[in-house]
Amino acid sequence: MEFLATTEALIATWHGITTPNDAARRLAADLASAIAAFEQVRGTLRFEDEPSSFEAALAECKE
Amino acid sequence: MTALADLGLVEAAEKVTRREVTSTALLDACLARLDQVNKTINATIWVDRDRARADAAAADAALAAGKSLGRLHGIPLAHKDMYYQAGRPCTCGSAIRRDFVPAITCTVVERLLAAGAYSFAGLNMAEFAQNPTGHNRAFGDCHNPWNAPYVTGGSSSGSGAAVSSGVTYASLGSDTGGSIRLPASACGVTGIKPTQTRVSRYGVMPLSFSADNVGPLARSARDCARILSIIAGADSRDPTSAREPVPDYEAALTGDLRGVRVGVPTNAFTNIAEPPVLAALEAALKALEGRGATIVRLELPLMKAISSYVAVISRAEAAAIHAQWMRERPQDYAIHLSARLYGGYAIPAAYYVEALACRGPILKAFAADVFGKVDLLATPTIPTCLPTLAETDIDHGPPGTEQKFMALSINTRPFNYLGLPAVSAPCGFDPNGLPIGLQIAGRPFAEARVLNAVDAYQRDTDWHRRRPPVVPA
Repeated sequence: MEFLATTEALIATWHGITTPNDAARRLAADLASAIAAFEQVRGTLRFEDEPSSFEAALAECKE
Repeated sequence: MTALADLGLVEAAEKVTRREVTSTALLDACLARLDQVNKTINATIWVDRDRARADAAAADAALAAGKSLGRLHGIPLAHKDMYYQAGRPCTCGSAIRRDFVPAITCTVVERLLAAGAYSFAGLNMAEFAQNPTGHNRAFGDCHNPWNAPYVTGGSSSGSGAAVSSGVTYASLGSDTGGSIRLPASACGVTGIKPTQTRVSRYGVMPLSFSADNVGPLARSARDCARILSIIAGADSRDPTSAREPVPDYEAALTGDLRGVRVGVPTNAFTNIAEPPVLAALEAALKALEGRGATIVRLELPLMKAISSYVAVISRAEAAAIHAQWMRERPQDYAIHLSARLYGGYAIPAAYYVEALACRGPILKAFAADVFGKVDLLATPTIPTCLPTLAETDIDHGPPGTEQKFMALSINTRPFNYLGLPAVSAPCGFDPNGLPIGLQIAGRPFAEARVLNAVDAYQRDTDWHRRRPPVVPA
């Protein structure tokens, strides 16, 4: 509940947008799972591309 | 004999060129079919019969005078209602843009016009292209032509339903997380999401700058190849479009898969797959083997990272695009859309940038590993049997409906993050009589190889030729 309240306050403060409905509350609360997913990935990737470019990667990986 | 409305795009175009049929006759067949089925499927938002008849007459007159405009001469088409055409409505499936009439025409429609096609309708779609089901509060839900209570897939819902039921020979859809491939799968047609940057997005409603793609839904890989050959390629008005040369995709359809290695992921894409879908996939793999392909079971790398990052990019970008309207008129969005957009405002910028910054390196690592072992990947497009509109109705359903809703696109989203070309083609039916889709993906800019695999499959199977029953009005 604390996570949701914090998230709602953050969105109102930074964007001036209020919670439109209950489904929005549920999906906002579910952002906790996005954070968990990022945490799982954190530290597992080591790339040396600097700067990285997606468009260059597309060209590099073509047939 | 095949009804005119049920011809393939290439077949119809060749009949016009050979003067075996007129453009007017094709248009009449499409409009008659529309009148037969639209009360059931609700595939259109607007139809411009008068202008279409004038365009058809002009195409017929040109041909009579010995002038052919191109490979789509005289072909009537209808597109997802998010492609700007100067002076015509473009609702983007929304109440907010109900009265929007753009002053410009998008590059892809210009290219189709230059090839001799014309547009006669704007097709139903998810509001602002943001659901995978076909729900639409502003214009009514789009219904599956195979079984009306079921979802069409989205967001190009009207495109899938209209191509499947014989209302149009092909349709431009858009794909940010599966929005071409999902309705292609659910409605039993063929659709391709090209490589990111392969097709211009100038004049196309944006959803996510980084992940939006334009591509066709049609009745076969060959039909898709013809459309893609026409619309692909660099565009000075879209600086993000790739300068890679565009091959003649249709000419690359040989039916020969000898030496082609088709990878089947063992650690992703089938985790929640249901038995009818798995059976259809295995049967499709056998058909590909019959054409000379070798099937390779393999583990895909980096799937956790891909699935974490893909969720963040389009959500954050869509939130930014819609911020002003979300402040000023949130009540004009459907509940499921404002709910989805809302969470996007809480995604930290550092997460968003991390997801974007890792995209190139992840693609390179993924391609080096996977495409060293196989040439193509084959998966189900949608891993489960199709749900009904009621089962996925967030606006009126109980809490938890969101999970069913989002599960639809679990197999399509990874290829949006990776930017890879991917096709969905019909490969069977589930126990409720709804189509099942086979997804085939390849390296960046390997559209020719991907389409050739699907075309080869379609030479030996007839799923793509099956049509839903036409229910009289």
